[in-house]
Amino acid sequence: MVEINLSFLLRLLADGLLIGFIYALMAMGLTLIFSVLRVVSFAHGEHYMIGGFAAYYLLETFTGLHPLVAILLAGSVTFAIGAVFERIFLRPLAEEKVERPGEYAILVTFGLGFFLQYLTLALIGPHPKKAARYFDLPAFELGPIKATAATLKLGTIPLSATRLTAAVIAVVLMLIMLYLIHHTWLGRGLRAVSQDKQAAAVVGINPLRMSTLAFGMGTMLAGMSGAALVPAFAWVPAVGAPAAVKSYVIIVLGGMGSIPGAMLGGLIIGVVEALGTGLLPDPNRAFAYRDAYGMLIFALVLLLRPRGLFGRQE
Amino acid sequence: MKRVDWRWVLTGGALVLALSAPLLLSGYPYWLHVAIVAYFYAILASSWSLLAGYAGQFSFAHMAFMAIGAYGSGLMGKYWGTTPLTGIVLSTLLAGLVGLVIGVLCLRLKGAYLALFTIAFSEVLRLTLNAELDITGGPNGLDLAPLLNTTSRVPYYYLMLALLLASLGFMYWLAGSRFGLFFRSIREDEEAAAAMGVHIVRYKVAAFVITAMIAGLAGGVEAHYIGLITPNILILGQMSIVIAMAVIGGIESLIGAAIGAILIQFSLELLRELGNWRLVAFGLLLMLTLRFARNGLIYPLIERLVLYQARRAVIEGREQKAKQVGEGA
Repeated sequence: MVEINLSFLLRLLADGLLIGFIYALMAMGLTLIFSVLRVVSFAHGEHYMIGGFAAYYLLETFTGLHPLVAILLAGSVTFAIGAVFERIFLRPLAEEKVERPGEYAILVTFGLGFFLQYLTLALIGPHPKKAARYFDLPAFELGPIKATAATLKLGTIPLSATRLTAAVIAVVLMLIMLYLIHHTWLGRGLRAVSQDKQAAAVVGINPLRMSTLAFGMGTMLAGMSGAALVPAFAWVPAVGAPAAVKSYVIIVLGGMGSIPGAMLGGLIIGVVEALGTGLLPDPNRAFAYRDAYGMLIFALVLLLRPRGLFGRQE
Repeated sequence: MKRVDWRWVLTGGALVLALSAPLLLSGYPYWLHVAIVAYFYAILASSWSLLAGYAGQFSFAHMAFMAIGAYGSGLMGKYWGTTPLTGIVLSTLLAGLVGLVIGVLCLRLKGAYLALFTIAFSEVLRLTLNAELDITGGPNGLDLAPLLNTTSRVPYYYLMLALLLASLGFMYWLAGSRFGLFFRSIREDEEAAAAMGVHIVRYKVAAFVITAMIAGLAGGVEAHYIGLITPNILILGQMSIVIAMAVIGGIESLIGAAIGAILIQFSLELLRELGNWRLVAFGLLLMLTLRFARNGLIYPLIERLVLYQARRAVIEGREQKAKQVGEGA
């Protein structure tokens, strides 16, 4: 009896870790936006949703398109939406021309989310779409490890191929982002603006351009997270809200603006959710409350340590 | 001859129109229903604008308080057998109590953190209502007993109208009193307000409690009128509609938000055949209003009218003075 429970728990843990990588990628986008613009985008879930639909429709329309190309294209779509939105609606914020900027930023990004969600609903309708599995696993058997096209079995723990693929994509994208941020001029510019806008401007970095780029890249990461995960879930226009709430939890937990915080926070949330689900006996209820665990953490962090694990003291 | 004060003419005209609407719409019960729902949203939008526009607390939990009022009354009726009236009174108090707790929890949170926390609270409440099938009926919703012993919509119409006018009157009184002044001082600069002796904690929490109770009361009455409440009322999209109403009407004006809500609710119904495109348009309008007309679209009209009256009063005063001086000479 105990043994069964243990393997069940391990299964949940593995699932939680895999999905945690995607959460981390999405939260990384949110934290990138926050560190440069000092804005929390309340439309993050909608970019995630649009990324998923973009990948789905690209693969439907152009049969034979490589899934990775579709993910990149979906990322470009949300990059474009984010950059154009930043240019029109957030530029006055960067130029410090807005009264009570915090309030404006909340409402205008919230408005974008509202607009994008209903636009998708009007264009696509409420019926769920589900993309086919991106990659089949090569079948092999190696001691306790056994793979079929759809699942990889580590002993008794099955890992779904779609989630595994999504996690691998997320890890690769996060590594690319870390490289961009720490080893290129673009990243140096972004970091400079996030630390001190005026000083960055003095040394020849255009803070306005960096804001547009940061917002675009942040929304691009959300879009790619959605594109990577679209085969794993039934995709509907409302799919973004729970995912967005998770990224908010993650960046608050990790510390607003901290990239390592976002990555670690993503994994923590993934695992806590999975374990929390395992602890409730009634499966229906457990599934419904899965999102509530993250929010419990959220409330605790906000009340006990508002700057999060790696946040800067403000 | 005394000049006509257009402010009172317009207010009076609107009141007469609102009071006689059941007569005018007697052949169109559906539009009377739309008006009731529009007043319901007007209460929500104006109380949200008191909390967000006046006190600067960008809470996204307003619909959650409304739902507490609705579900609270429904559940009390189902399990304790309370009458709808007792249920509404008790659940309004309950909404105030939850508002107190949320207000205290949010004391240290500002701006985006507050918004995030209240979104999370609202989502948890929605998930709970959905998950506890046996108690709340889950996604199928909860049936409520009718509040009034009638099949006619007219009494409900007057009830909701009275509720709207009473809450607007109360909120205007509040906004004009020291409370309103302190709310605005907290919004503009919390530290400065505290330094000037404003008891920040007390007024922030008070703003939450008062607006939560107004939302809860409206929710209770609306739910007993409709006879059914589902957790879907709590989706973020619903909150967005209330926010869009307040922003387009004028987030810093209670009456602007209320008129915005009524106009938007009616136009949503009039444009029904456009389906979701209506909401796409409102989302766009929300963003454009924020970007290019921070005071909303309706409030500036009201302000212009008030200014016009004030200017005329000044000119008139001067003319009279000149006349007196002329007569004296």
